[in-house]
Amino acid sequence: MLKVSVISPEAILFEGEADSVVAPAYDGELGILTGHAPLMALLGNGELRLGAGASGRRFTVSGGFLQVFNNDVRVVTEKATIAT
Amino acid sequence: MAKGRELKGRIKTVENTRKITRTMEMVATSKMKRAQDRVVAARPFANSLTEVIANLYTPELAERFPLLRQPATVNKAAVIVLTSNRGLAGAFNANLLKEARALLARLKGQNVEAELHVIGKKGLGYFRYVGRAVASSRVDIGDRPTAANAAEIVDELITRFASSEIDAVYVVYAKFQSALSTPPSTQMILPVTPPERSGPQPDYILLPSAEEILTQLLPSYVRNSVYRALVETAAGEQGARRTAMKNATDNAGEMLNVLRRTFNRARQAQITQEIAEIVGGAAALQG
Repeated sequence: MLKVSVISPEAILFEGEADSVVAPAYDGELGILTGHAPLMALLGNGELRLGAGASGRRFTVSGGFLQVFNNDVRVVTEKATIAT
Repeated sequence: MAKGRELKGRIKTVENTRKITRTMEMVATSKMKRAQDRVVAARPFANSLTEVIANLYTPELAERFPLLRQPATVNKAAVIVLTSNRGLAGAFNANLLKEARALLARLKGQNVEAELHVIGKKGLGYFRYVGRAVASSRVDIGDRPTAANAAEIVDELITRFASSEIDAVYVVYAKFQSALSTPPSTQMILPVTPPERSGPQPDYILLPSAEEILTQLLPSYVRNSVYRALVETAAGEQGARRTAMKNATDNAGEMLNVLRRTFNRARQAQITQEIAEIVGGAAALQG
């Protein structure tokens, strides 16, 4: 399982586990699964989807970055809203 | 019993004042609690951002980034002064303005032209009063500043700094150390002082490159510094107001004690006097 946190300047929007993360990177979608190498990626605009374990939560993000280290995924973005 | 009635009036006044200050104290306490939560909630973002910038920053890269450039001579600086919109918070705004004045004097001493950006009615009122030109002002940022507010304040300055129009940007704000201690502080947000790297770093895959990531994140870092200053000042204001109102409530209580004592003494004196008069009168009739 991946430990995922979605952080905006105002608050931590989500913190928990998910088995996959699909993020809108600067040049297209980027999928993260367990065991991913350490990664730092810029994000573009789009939808961030968390897979099973986080019951398919979705966020609309714009800008910021994503950091993966040791199955710990951190999405840090200036504008993030929980998508319905 | 003219004196008694006067005292009664004063007791009533002080009681009413105490009622108001006590209510304000309670309101400030609950507002401070929420503001404090926002200060805490802003931390993870700031920490993540600081960590990443510390990871990516290298002195070689620094020369290529406008936001990291360290101007050899500073000719023009922008000063953002954060104050509250409302008073009755003790020396809170006075302290912030004192800090701002000290900074402006220091800049003047170094022959730096300073332009002022004032947030909050109190600061604006002060600078208008002393007749200092204010480049821009905002009085619509309330108890709950947002990241968007911070961006609105600083984005223009970032662009102007990048184009070398200004050489430094300072923020004067109230640092929220605890509910009781909110000292005014000055922070230089531009040029960006790169954060210290802590410990060895894992070998990250960088998408697309360190340079690109820094280009995106540095403005974000600056905006976040301003956002933090905003939330800390908002929390500090409530903390200062709570302390001020608590003192006012305590003082009103003390004053009430003294007034009540004086009132009772006057009442007793009058009764004693009346008895003495009756006894005196009766004695005169008998004699």
